[in-house]
Amino acid sequence: MDAGTQEPTWASLLAGADADGIGLTSGLLERWCCSAGLQGAALYVEVEGLFEREHSCGEGNFPRSLSSEAAAELSPLRLPGGLLMSARQAVSQEASSGGMALDPKPQPSAALDGPLEVLLAMVVRNALLERRLKKSRFAAMHRNVEQQALYDVGLAITSTLDLEETSEAILAWALSLLDARRSALYLLDGDSVDRCYRLTHALGGDARPEFTCVDDAVPEDVLPGAAHLLAVRIEIESVPRGFLVVADKESRYGVGPFGEADRATLELFANQAAIALENARLHRQALQEERMQREMELAAETQNKLLPKGVPTVEGFELAGWNRPAREVGGDYYDLLPRDDGRLVVTLGDVTGKGMPAALMVSNLHSALRLSLDHHEVGPELFAGLNRHIHESSPANKFITLLVAQLDPPTGHVRYVNAGHNPAVVLGADGSVRELPSGGPPIGLLPGVSYQGDEFNLEVDDLFCIYSDGITECAARDGEEYELERLVALLQEHRTAPLPEIIAVIDQATSEFADGQPQGDDQTVVLLRRVG
Amino acid sequence: MTESLKLEIERRDGVAVVYTEGYINNLGGEEIARVADTLIKDGHKVLLLNLRGTKIVNSIGISILIEIIEKMIEIEGRLAFCNLTPTIEKTFQIMGLAQYAGIFADEPAALAELAN
Repeated sequence: MDAGTQEPTWASLLAGADADGIGLTSGLLERWCCSAGLQGAALYVEVEGLFEREHSCGEGNFPRSLSSEAAAELSPLRLPGGLLMSARQAVSQEASSGGMALDPKPQPSAALDGPLEVLLAMVVRNALLERRLKKSRFAAMHRNVEQQALYDVGLAITSTLDLEETSEAILAWALSLLDARRSALYLLDGDSVDRCYRLTHALGGDARPEFTCVDDAVPEDVLPGAAHLLAVRIEIESVPRGFLVVADKESRYGVGPFGEADRATLELFANQAAIALENARLHRQALQEERMQREMELAAETQNKLLPKGVPTVEGFELAGWNRPAREVGGDYYDLLPRDDGRLVVTLGDVTGKGMPAALMVSNLHSALRLSLDHHEVGPELFAGLNRHIHESSPANKFITLLVAQLDPPTGHVRYVNAGHNPAVVLGADGSVRELPSGGPPIGLLPGVSYQGDEFNLEVDDLFCIYSDGITECAARDGEEYELERLVALLQEHRTAPLPEIIAVIDQATSEFADGQPQGDDQTVVLLRRVG
Repeated sequence: MTESLKLEIERRDGVAVVYTEGYINNLGGEEIARVADTLIKDGHKVLLLNLRGTKIVNSIGISILIEIIEKMIEIEGRLAFCNLTPTIEKTFQIMGLAQYAGIFADEPAALAELAN
């Protein structure tokens, strides 16, 4: 303190005492400085093993807090629950307390007279009481914060299905409420066989990208460098789905372990996380199902547009076509295309696979075939071109068995090519049965393939049947297949019946053969009969 | 390793603005307290803490901020906050900081009120 500073009198101290006690404390310290010839002084109170500065006056960079060891080295004057530090002059040396200038040898205790010592001891006691009161008020308010946190997390879960957003909210609150330095959320990798948990989100520091859980415990280095870990399991219907991890509980004096109350709070958050996870999963599942359903509807609509809407009228011939996919969208395709010159092109194709990919291939085939027919007759050259196109434009494991027949109605002459499809059959009016075998592999399977075609004449009352393997490979309960023989027998039995009736009979026969089992493959039948 | 709080300081219209980025915990709070001490020693009596880069404040950080508020009151100064996340603002309201420190939506609103 300055040499000219007057020592405060007891009366002035009393007069200057304010409601907060700061004026009184300040006056007491000034009185001590004046009486002991000190440059400055500071009063410290002991809190949880450390000494925290309560008030200071005069010169001297008194640190905000001192450890017991650092305080002991500086030989302060002890008071019950506190101590007094003094400074003679500011010097530039570093002290063990961290960068301040202190006089390590204060005035002898005689400089602190009895009344002054008692009053300062009372000030220390009041300061300790005030700190306890503040701490308890702080804790009470913080409990409100905890309740608010749980409410906010609950709201976050119901207001968003974004798992990332919810994870961040849960981790942020966990950090804040538990006074943790770091937090992380790990979720079980559903595809993992060996219970691998992957990091979803982390706050406050590094976290391992994944770990494999052994005996339900997270590895000690899950948050590298962390000294104290607390991990709780996230469960859905008692099935582990993840872990919520926090590290290093803070206090004003460093970090330490978490307590049981912290575990209880974290478990509450883990429950919230479980609800969020389940909501997100169900939502994702619903979206996926909706997407698949839309895709199926679109595919079915696309395919439906490609199939003939009716049967063209061809002089001297009866025609019928029928298709039933095994699922919403199938891979069978047929067409009855009258050409400008009066000829008719009959097509039946069977694409590998089902669903949207098969529908897209059918669409591709339909367009390619129609375009090719503008430039080629039905024959090997047409099929070579189709094969090249389908092979180049389709996935490696996709191909199409295809039979295309071109009919010249006035003569009954038929030219055809069969690329890997089931042998079509011609039932003669004389009871003969002719099979039309394959003249090459399915189109799209191999590049640069040559095909062989053939031709025959349809006579009056001859019945020409093209079908897909959904008919002949229709299986009974014991696994036996319907096979071509049964189909031929059925066709022979009903050879003269109206074509729609024949189709109905085939449908019924295969259904009865399957004995209530779900249809395993798409079924298609195309019938031609020469009547004139 | 643990991430640490980053601070930037600017002077605007007589107000010392401290920008925070990161978690205000024990370490972060101590850093803010250290900067506040320095600014007070330099004669600043109006401090604005712009928490634009902070999403989380724990109870240790809050207790340090309360101490800074108390110090500002002691020197008849003023402390204010701006750009708080809704969560932090709610926490400050519950913990009583809003009673003794101004809370503003953004920096222009804060400076309009705090500047000389």
